[in-house]
Amino acid sequence: MRDGLNAAAKGVPAVALVTEDFWPQGNFVATSFGMPDIPRVQLPHPTAGTGAESMRLIADKVVAEVIAALEGS
Amino acid sequence: MSDLLAADSEIAAIEQLHELGCTDGLPVIVPTPERVERMVLATGLDAGMVLGEMGPLLGVCTVEKLAAAAVMAGCIPDYMPIVLAATQAVMEPEFDLTEMQATTFGTTPLIIVNGPAISACGIASGFGALGPGHRANASIGRALRLAMTNIGGARPGSSDMTLLGHGAKFTQCLAEDEQNSPFESLAVSRGFDTSQTVVTVIGTEAPHSVMHFADADDPDSPIRLLNGFADMLAAPGTNNAALGGGQAVVVITPEQAGELAVAGYTRSSIADHIVDRAKTRSGRAAFQSPDDVLIVAAGGAGLYSFVFPTWCAGAHNNRSVSKAVELDQSCEIPWASAS
Repeated sequence: MRDGLNAAAKGVPAVALVTEDFWPQGNFVATSFGMPDIPRVQLPHPTAGTGAESMRLIADKVVAEVIAALEGS
Repeated sequence: MSDLLAADSEIAAIEQLHELGCTDGLPVIVPTPERVERMVLATGLDAGMVLGEMGPLLGVCTVEKLAAAAVMAGCIPDYMPIVLAATQAVMEPEFDLTEMQATTFGTTPLIIVNGPAISACGIASGFGALGPGHRANASIGRALRLAMTNIGGARPGSSDMTLLGHGAKFTQCLAEDEQNSPFESLAVSRGFDTSQTVVTVIGTEAPHSVMHFADADDPDSPIRLLNGFADMLAAPGTNNAALGGGQAVVVITPEQAGELAVAGYTRSSIADHIVDRAKTRSGRAAFQSPDDVLIVAAGGAGLYSFVFPTWCAGAHNNRSVSKAVELDQSCEIPWASAS
């Protein structure tokens, strides 16, 4: 979330990828840094460590949402 | 009936308790007769009933004195059956409480709760369960500590000779995450059934984190995790390695427990692996039996699980004790009343 916030603060289009278990923390940080509406997409938890194939499937599932968030739609 | 102190105000009473060395250094709830009586009522027992003896002072622990500690710690009556069971557990001879309270080592009871009281009392098992912010966890563990201070007489530098101490000596209580654990509960593994509320106590150091990057594509990933537990527990400098013959706790986060379960590990095969691997540099085993490794599923999501080395000394090597919370006694507490 902080990476997304930092990029957005520099004017770089950004979308934060946040896993389910850290979603509330992401909302908290986004609000406390004054960017409650920063684009973010939820990933299942865990995503890291689940293996290349699993991560590919997750990426396929969320890629459209990530692009839509970057396009601001 | 315990001795009564007098003070002009609540604040003056707290200051008096500080001056008498009856606190843990933080403000307490003043144990007025009314508050203590309400806490006693929650036990369903007589106020003067003797629960046991606490060293090094060899103070007699009555229900009323324990209730006073629970009030001071900030407990509500619903927590009292847990405090009672934990206190009875530490007074069992195999826990070696008197020696444990007096040692130069940094050890303190870890209270692990299983069963229906977890949800009824709101005892946390997830993110930060052993840290600040969870009232039940904080006050239950603190009640036992205040009992050990005021009834057992353990005070730093004169009777509790811990060289440095650590934060968990204020309070150390958590629930097992039974809901998200892939394994049977700790209490079931120790012969209890799931309908019972069970308190397990063990004297431990503060937790040591074990970092683990899971990799589902690496068949050795679960073994790396297990080796991490074993190597931390048998690291030079731990009492488990130096003295041997003791026990230890491994708190595995549900996420990492899930990785082990998918790989086919059970509670007992995890303990087997740790015991086989946990050896000193000279090859001496840190543990004598898989039963000496207590496995608990708890903690939030992330890269860390935790090991808790122990003191391993005392006449019984400071053994863990489990106690079922007695029902039928606490008729004032809805969750503890038998249906």
